[in-house]
Amino acid sequence: MADSAYALRASAASPWRRALLAGGVALVLLAVCSVVLPTFLVNNLIRAFLYAAVALTVDLLWGYTGILTFGQSAFFGIGAYAAGLIFTHAGFSLPLAAGALVAGIGAAWLVSRAVGWLAFYHGASPLYASVVTLVLPIVLVQGIYSGGEFTGSSSGLSGFDSFDIPLEAWFFIAGAFLICLAVTAWMFVRSDAGRLLVAIRENEARCEYLGIDVSRYKARLMDTCAVIAAFAGFLFACVQMVVAPEYAGFVFGTELVIWVALGGRGSLIGPIAGTMLIDVGSAYLSGNLPYVWTLLVGVAFVVVIVAMPRGLAPVVAIGARRALPRRRRADAEPVVFAVAKAREHGGAEEARPALSIRGVQKHFGSLKVLDGISFDARAGELLSLIGPNGAGKSTLMRCIADGAERSAGSVEIGGTDIRTLAPYDCVALGIGRKFQTATVFESLTVAEALRIARHRVAPPSKWQRSPVLELPQPALDVLRLTGLDRMPGRECRYLSHGQKQALELAMVLALEPRTVLLDEPTAGLTKQERTQIGEIFVALSSRYRMCLLLVEHDLEFVQQISSRIIVLHQGRIVMDGGVDEVVNSELVRSVYAGESHAAAGTQEEGRA
Amino acid sequence: MKKPSSFRNARGATALALLLSLAATTHAALAADPVKIGVPVGLSGANSVVAPSVVQAAQLAVEEINAKGGILGRQVSLEVADDGSGAAGAQKAFDSLIFDKKVNALISMETSAARNAGLPIVTRGKVPFIYTSFYEGRSCNRYMYVDAWVPDQQVAPIVDYFMKQQKAKTFFLIGSDYAFGRGMLDFTKSYIEKQGGKVVGNEYLPMDGSDWTSIISKLQAAKPDAIITSTAGGAPNVTLTKQLRAAGVKVPYGNLAVDEGTAKSMGADAQGIYISGSYVTNIDTPANRTFLAAMEKRFGKDLKTPNDLSVPEYEAVYLYKAAVEKAGTFDTAKVIPALAQVSFDGPRGKIQMNKQRHTPLTMYLGQVQADGSVKVIESFRNVDPGAQCPALK
Amino acid sequence: MLNLGLDVATTAAILFIVSAGLLMVFGVMKIINFSHGAFLTVGGYASVIVAHLGLAWWWGVPFALAIGFVLGIAVERFIVRPLYARPLDAILATWGLGIIVGQIVTLIFGRGVQMVASPVEGAIPLFGVQYSAYRLILIGVALVIALALGWLLNGTRLGLQTRAVIMNEALARGLGISSSRVRFMTFCTGAALASAAGCLITPLASVDPNMGVPWIVGAFMLVLVSGSSLLSLAVASIVLGGAQVLVSTFVNPVLGGLTIAVLAALLLRFRPEGFARG
Repeated sequence: MADSAYALRASAASPWRRALLAGGVALVLLAVCSVVLPTFLVNNLIRAFLYAAVALTVDLLWGYTGILTFGQSAFFGIGAYAAGLIFTHAGFSLPLAAGALVAGIGAAWLVSRAVGWLAFYHGASPLYASVVTLVLPIVLVQGIYSGGEFTGSSSGLSGFDSFDIPLEAWFFIAGAFLICLAVTAWMFVRSDAGRLLVAIRENEARCEYLGIDVSRYKARLMDTCAVIAAFAGFLFACVQMVVAPEYAGFVFGTELVIWVALGGRGSLIGPIAGTMLIDVGSAYLSGNLPYVWTLLVGVAFVVVIVAMPRGLAPVVAIGARRALPRRRRADAEPVVFAVAKAREHGGAEEARPALSIRGVQKHFGSLKVLDGISFDARAGELLSLIGPNGAGKSTLMRCIADGAERSAGSVEIGGTDIRTLAPYDCVALGIGRKFQTATVFESLTVAEALRIARHRVAPPSKWQRSPVLELPQPALDVLRLTGLDRMPGRECRYLSHGQKQALELAMVLALEPRTVLLDEPTAGLTKQERTQIGEIFVALSSRYRMCLLLVEHDLEFVQQISSRIIVLHQGRIVMDGGVDEVVNSELVRSVYAGESHAAAGTQEEGRA
Repeated sequence: MKKPSSFRNARGATALALLLSLAATTHAALAADPVKIGVPVGLSGANSVVAPSVVQAAQLAVEEINAKGGILGRQVSLEVADDGSGAAGAQKAFDSLIFDKKVNALISMETSAARNAGLPIVTRGKVPFIYTSFYEGRSCNRYMYVDAWVPDQQVAPIVDYFMKQQKAKTFFLIGSDYAFGRGMLDFTKSYIEKQGGKVVGNEYLPMDGSDWTSIISKLQAAKPDAIITSTAGGAPNVTLTKQLRAAGVKVPYGNLAVDEGTAKSMGADAQGIYISGSYVTNIDTPANRTFLAAMEKRFGKDLKTPNDLSVPEYEAVYLYKAAVEKAGTFDTAKVIPALAQVSFDGPRGKIQMNKQRHTPLTMYLGQVQADGSVKVIESFRNVDPGAQCPALK
Repeated sequence: MLNLGLDVATTAAILFIVSAGLLMVFGVMKIINFSHGAFLTVGGYASVIVAHLGLAWWWGVPFALAIGFVLGIAVERFIVRPLYARPLDAILATWGLGIIVGQIVTLIFGRGVQMVASPVEGAIPLFGVQYSAYRLILIGVALVIALALGWLLNGTRLGLQTRAVIMNEALARGLGISSSRVRFMTFCTGAALASAAGCLITPLASVDPNMGVPWIVGAFMLVLVSGSSLLSLAVASIVLGGAQVLVSTFVNPVLGGLTIAVLAALLLRFRPEGFARG
């Protein structure tokens, strides 16, 4: 196969040009509205703009990344109270205002780091993260209550001076803040890096095994959103000249979630619209029906969560799409695959074993699943791990790729001891793991999924979409063989089972691993697909000098492609040798004695 | 009037009454635009128990004024808005009343949080605001007047009574941790110490706290001669009283923050509590008797007991009328100084907000009886509010 | 000192009573029922209704159990069941339900604070101190509930099936246990318990449409550190409830209110199983 780039030019209208144009139009509209609209509406909209900005951060965290957070109100409150406290106790001046802004943002960032430490770590449950974000505003509000005169306690602080600019100017400032935020966020989520948010939401484990430190990413995202919310809170305090604990509390935090849910999570424009409509609407309506209004919102919320989880935005969008004339979706642009330059492999690397397992043990309580597992695997080997169910094969795979998994013993990847490293760090050492059930990212396209896989090697742009995706040759081979190279724009949910398996393999190969762990790669494949994938494996190990470690049940398949077989039984290695040796051994036959006749029959054939 | 818990949709009745009265007043409107008085009040939230009584008081005042020809020949209409008993809701309510409904004046009671949140909007909108709720004092704004009591007026009767008649020397103070609670008890503490008493405990619980266990344990360990409390309205008042009684605490108990209505609804637990305020329903003056009769006639069985939060509202509407008539115009710049010069003889006596925007008041010390009524033990005439807003005129 | 000890014991008992229902639901269904507060409120109003009807206070408890159970049926069917696969969304939907119930209660009963007379007045002398009789009774009630639940789980067939589903739902289904029936019964029982708890706390607190809200977070954190074990819940109630009392007494009641939430969050960070056996 010639190493050649696909010769195609992708026509790429800069995505950000469109966004900037839309933003510009919005700003002009804003300026006009600031003088045209009645004062009451202007007042309400200023508030709604700032709330919408915070709702946007909730959407980024929850709608896109799957982190349910009730705590964005706390950061909003921190920004607001920074302004309120400084202006009340130290007075108002331009330097003080700047100082207050810096203090608010700094405090929010620090608190976010603490929350990140608490909530985002390898193995944390999403429920726990949500709990932490729920406790945060409660703690903050109690802190404010216990501040007595200094913080204004439950009455809040008011009567402080602020910028002496007219309301119309504030309208423009708040609106511009929202518009800039919205445009930036839109560009980010559309960019290649932004797709990672969706990937994390859909399949966090897969991301970790692609070398992405998910916890760190989430914590960074929360830091950014905290800072944005604090900024919004600062502006809020400046224009309203009042701060009160309810702006930092968890009721406001849950309201934000409700607005995002009703507007449509994961759509940016949905939360903005939802927030503005509900907040401004309640200003007009709740005066007349205080209890009924809240009841209506509550009912709508429950109905949306249960029956329409995507919110009302998709409903509106479908309606709009039907009403407007059809146009080609600009982001369905074709992505072109190209060959990435292969990384240099020194000869010395080949001398060390790719994998070195010594005395690995794993027990659950008193149940010992693995005991005394020791072996080496070298580059160019295609090593199959076989054994009856419950022998511990999958457990062993996990122990190799995740440093925290095993109970005792040592694992070295490429000569480096993995100690208790998390999967993403193990991946950095050169190992890739393909799961048993094809785990790809349902909402992403083939190209996007592959780009996520390249994240560690080639960090994607944070603001644009690259029309070219470079992949190492082995990955391209897999794509070409299975026809996936012709469908870069197809969403993964529409792929067949075999195609998903191939895509996942390509993703793992995109990591440029030296060792690949494959957990039952032929499960669910047709005979033809099995042959194809067998050829790929052989090519990977012989041509590309990778070390492949396979867990397999299909003994015929194992026999055809392996260079070496290890037999596990009841957590121990009972045999480790070449294909003929193992296949013909009495011991193995007796281990499999309870297995299907077909397997025994195959072995008879092999012998004969 | 001890009624058990009601299933009646009180809110619906109030809304209906409001709609009817609004319809009535607009019908009676002459060619001139009606004068709008805005009432931002806690229809939901912590003040929602007492808000209906405040609205009723305002309605009666407006109807009486309209029957006599209105203010400067123009009929008066009420605009009620819900401030949620808090800062966020107050901003919306004040915004709505001042900029959307364009009221001529705001007359209402709010929580301190709501008041503080609304004041910047009042300043921006340049509208006179008469604050009709008792509060912790020292809130000052160019456009605001207060016709209810401040701690300087309310605390002394109880403390003096305890020290003189009950011979109490040591006091234990309990409050809700918010501006009003802290403000009241700070003043109480300094007053007690000035009179030679001793404060042996001063504990606070958060606004929404309902578990007074640890505080009660401390109380019993300190063995004070008397207790004085200033908790937030509604639940904290009720829970503290219940838990105190359940723990068997029997020392004299003065509650700075409970009104007659809540005390009645506390039932047997409230018996013996001392309260101090500027209004009790048994005030035996012609003005009060006329007022009560008119309320009874107007609202019948939907009547919410007039109390120390609703009667100032009634009087404030009349004070506004007097100020406008004195100034000869509705123009805010002229009405504001006029508000300090006029007076009104209401159910609480003569009200004139001429002491740095606040008014001297007659204060009553009462004790809750077994049947829930309040017996007046002593009354103090013309208690001065002290220096509340020295910076204002 | 004895006073402090009694405070700790009675606080632990109250926390246990309030959280037991939530534990049942979390243990079996692995979702947090944020409408727990609403059920507490419903139970509180059950005792208001009973008082209005002129019956003795104790009738409130079975009445609350019944109402809670019936309400639980509707909630499980329409809100919880469709969201079984989406636990975070289940939190949100049950929170929304809590809002709805609060508003409906307000529309029916009014926003006002209601009072329910305590069935047992005053304090009784105990080892030299006067202590609230009703609080002491609640210790007994907590024990009764613990024993009853324990018997239900360990001595009945449904209880056995429930424990199986708690440990491994897929396997239990494979063995022919109807996990949907178990989930349904568990939720209704949890809801009934929550309702009864609401009724039981009315003599100590007032009844208003939002009375359940302050209890949610505390109960929720206790359940998280307890996993699915009643014994762990008892331990957690004593340890964390005790910490709350100590902090309230010696430091500051404001911080005391935070103790359970903060300690539980920190505990879970370092030991995700909490008090349950690892």
